[in-house]
Amino acid sequence: MNEIPLLTLSLFIPLLGSILLLFLKPQGHRIPNLIAVTAAALSAAGVILMGLRGITADFSQIEEVEWIPSLGAAYRLGVDGISYTAVLLTALLFLFTGIFSTRIRKKSSAFMALFLMLETACLGVFMSLDLLLFYVFFEVTLVGMYFIIAGWGHENRKKAAIMFFIYTLIGSLLLLLGLLSLYLHSDPHTFDMRELVANPPLSGMAALLTFWALFLAFAIKTPLFPFHSWLPMAHTEAPAEGSAILAGILLKLGAYGFIRFAFQMTPEAFAANAWIVIVVAVVSVIYGALVAMAQTDIKRMVAYTSINHMGYLVFGVAIATLGTTTAAERALDGATLQMFSHGIVTGLLFLLIGSIQERTTTREMPALKGLLKVYPLLSGFFILAAFASLGLPGLAHFPAEFQIFLGGYEISPITVAIVLLGLVLTSALYLRAIQRSFMGAEDRTVLEKMKDLDSRELWTFIPLVILIILIGIFPDILLNFIHETTKLITV
Amino acid sequence: MSQMSKDLISILPQIIILVTAIVALIFEMLRKPLGSLFGLITGLLAAGVLAITRLGTSETAFHETFRLDSLSHWAVIILAGSGILSALLCRAELKGSQREGTLYSLMGFSTLGAALLAGSGDLMFLVLGVLMNSLSGFAMAAFPKTDKATEGAIKYFIYGSVTGAVMLFGLTYWAGISGGTLISMISGNMNQPYVMLFGFASLICGLGYAASLFPFHFWTPDTFQGAPVSIAAFLSVTPKIGAFFALAQVMKYLPQKTVDYNLILAILAVLSMTYGNVVALWQKNLIRLLSYSTIAQAGFFLLGIVAINQSELAISSLVIFSLAYAAMNIGAFAIVQQVGKKLTRMEGLARRNLFLAAAMTIFLLSLVGIPPLAGFAGKFLLFTAALDSGYVGLAVAAILNSVLSLAVYLRIISPMFFREEHPIEFGLSPWTRTVYISCFVVTIVAGITVQWLL
Repeated sequence: MNEIPLLTLSLFIPLLGSILLLFLKPQGHRIPNLIAVTAAALSAAGVILMGLRGITADFSQIEEVEWIPSLGAAYRLGVDGISYTAVLLTALLFLFTGIFSTRIRKKSSAFMALFLMLETACLGVFMSLDLLLFYVFFEVTLVGMYFIIAGWGHENRKKAAIMFFIYTLIGSLLLLLGLLSLYLHSDPHTFDMRELVANPPLSGMAALLTFWALFLAFAIKTPLFPFHSWLPMAHTEAPAEGSAILAGILLKLGAYGFIRFAFQMTPEAFAANAWIVIVVAVVSVIYGALVAMAQTDIKRMVAYTSINHMGYLVFGVAIATLGTTTAAERALDGATLQMFSHGIVTGLLFLLIGSIQERTTTREMPALKGLLKVYPLLSGFFILAAFASLGLPGLAHFPAEFQIFLGGYEISPITVAIVLLGLVLTSALYLRAIQRSFMGAEDRTVLEKMKDLDSRELWTFIPLVILIILIGIFPDILLNFIHETTKLITV
Repeated sequence: MSQMSKDLISILPQIIILVTAIVALIFEMLRKPLGSLFGLITGLLAAGVLAITRLGTSETAFHETFRLDSLSHWAVIILAGSGILSALLCRAELKGSQREGTLYSLMGFSTLGAALLAGSGDLMFLVLGVLMNSLSGFAMAAFPKTDKATEGAIKYFIYGSVTGAVMLFGLTYWAGISGGTLISMISGNMNQPYVMLFGFASLICGLGYAASLFPFHFWTPDTFQGAPVSIAAFLSVTPKIGAFFALAQVMKYLPQKTVDYNLILAILAVLSMTYGNVVALWQKNLIRLLSYSTIAQAGFFLLGIVAINQSELAISSLVIFSLAYAAMNIGAFAIVQQVGKKLTRMEGLARRNLFLAAAMTIFLLSLVGIPPLAGFAGKFLLFTAALDSGYVGLAVAAILNSVLSLAVYLRIISPMFFREEHPIEFGLSPWTRTVYISCFVVTIVAGITVQWLL
């Protein structure tokens, strides 16, 4: 195959930018910004070209080089409908967040180097077709995020960063156990994910234990109730860019893991325990919404809604293990699309909150009043993103959640009814937040008149808003190839 | 060629180390410390290179009393490397002090002891190795002649004498029931479980002391704190690798049917890891923190030893982890030597010298086992070997301890980047810089290129 290795290029261009920054150590912020945005844009271009080449139901565009042959590990990259969705999300969200983060003046070249390293790690997780490679990238994301939170976060950043690092390291080491168990039970021993997906190697007790190790690992990452306690703290203390990546991409690592590992590699154990997972997911949906409602800090509120949204997603994956083929396809389509939708919507929300905080220096909703009058454009974007997040038809979350519910309805209408309650709660909490913070007369002591959005922010927000509307109206852009893959894997 | 000369050629790397130590001693008598240093470096380099050319071969010498298998070849390579790096650190720290050259000579003897341990095919080599190792270590620890150094050295000496005596006593039982001192002969002793167990316990006592394994570790923090940093770095690596490789050599032949020796090792591993990490959480002195961390890391070595008869990966996991451990540990000690022994001295290091802070971070993350660093490759293989042999509980405990160790090392990492600079300046020595740069390169490259080492 003499084609250009697009995957490898898109994967390592950000890392190259990162190394460049480390060695050049440019002063000021202009050159780091330029390098970072260029690298992210090139990588995104590569990913889009990858999509134009055509995404097939099974893994395609494979790039493979020997790495540790005696162990059966290799450098293997490839994409299918599910992983491409995640790769596309990663490339786009990193590009726009990168544009947004050109505001950073404190050690800008170090920040951008970390940011680009994190992008490579995230892309690598989704592109890897090798367990060992997957795990390597999975862990590197932790290190990158730790330094971003601890270095550029708010007041309690150090505590939050340490908690994030240690808590999620427990998860990833459990993942390592699960992966090693998959490896040791495969015959001949291999780390090749294609092989493990095609012939799930485990059965009986081993499968059960492995499934629970994987479940815990991804439940911490996603996060599901009751493994979520690191999330609100990390989000509150992280800088806006960190939160956007954390919610937009890093949570998807868990979601993707549920589909790729738990669902595809330990299918029987997952199906046998699907009801436990469904209960955990439903509790997460309701709990996330209720706790979000009780928050006065707008960023914490959005952080908790992530638990709610990820609950829908995991609910969809669990449903897919139980249902008839059509129901399973629908639920899994929905879950995969939900990854993308949640990534762009919540990413946008966190960036917008960053902009609000920059202008008002507070995130307390009672203190923020009448934002709409003072910053009409900013507020308009926020209200639109909030509506998308609560699942308004025509915006990105609706087609995803609708399909999850549709799939779920065939299995258990009662559970779907409970889950729908979560939807009502999120609507209520967003409407209340909008009413409290954006409507009404402004408090001049808090809100000084500053410029509404500048061009940097417009370049970040407008593309994301367009994407949200585009996915809302034409979800088929993504569903076309997602559906091919889900059709293949739910047989 | 007679059998004798063939055997001598087989153990040429070990002979070179011996000659090196003697040459270093001669230069010291001439009061030429630089001569000692370069003698040591050249000799160890030659021994290491010779061992590299012999990788892949496997033989025994002197009627199976000494083994030249992959463990003993790799031991020479790793020990030579860590000997050279420690000697360079020593030069940076103790340049110009009286009797400087004796240190290099003692390092040679201690390295020889460890190399003999790693290849032991006979019980007498175990005793000889531990004694050579600890006697020269004791003299090195006492080098500065301060109260603290003397106290630490005395502790090291007394612990060493007692555990060594116990080991020798216990091993006589093994020799007694097997009718010979060859390690391979113990595999026949199936019907004497209590005598075997007694011998095993005393062996663990002696080797555990050299490896600073819980509960034989009590000398470690005090001795390390009193000794020069470079000597602490040496003592944290060389005796440990020698002792664990020796234990691996013994475990290959221990009859497992009647007594579950592996279970004993697994329990010791969990205790050592947990104890080391938990106690390290409270330490304010970097040397003490690192010495508790070496106690914790000792537990990880045991994962590979437990698996030695059941998993093909056990030997390579042990080798890779030792290599990684040597690089990251000496690297961390080198930076402590440069910056200062107090934890507070690390504050704001990134602002003063970014590369130093980055290198320290890499060493510590590698000790946790974060990919793609060398420590990850080692731990990954250790976990695989342990799981492969059915020790799921042990692997889980090791994994939880990796999390705990992250909490320990973040106590160093966090202030380096996120605190204001510590007011006290420190100098940069070119010798030390060579050491931490070499360790930095090994830690990163060995992690990515494991396939060439397997």
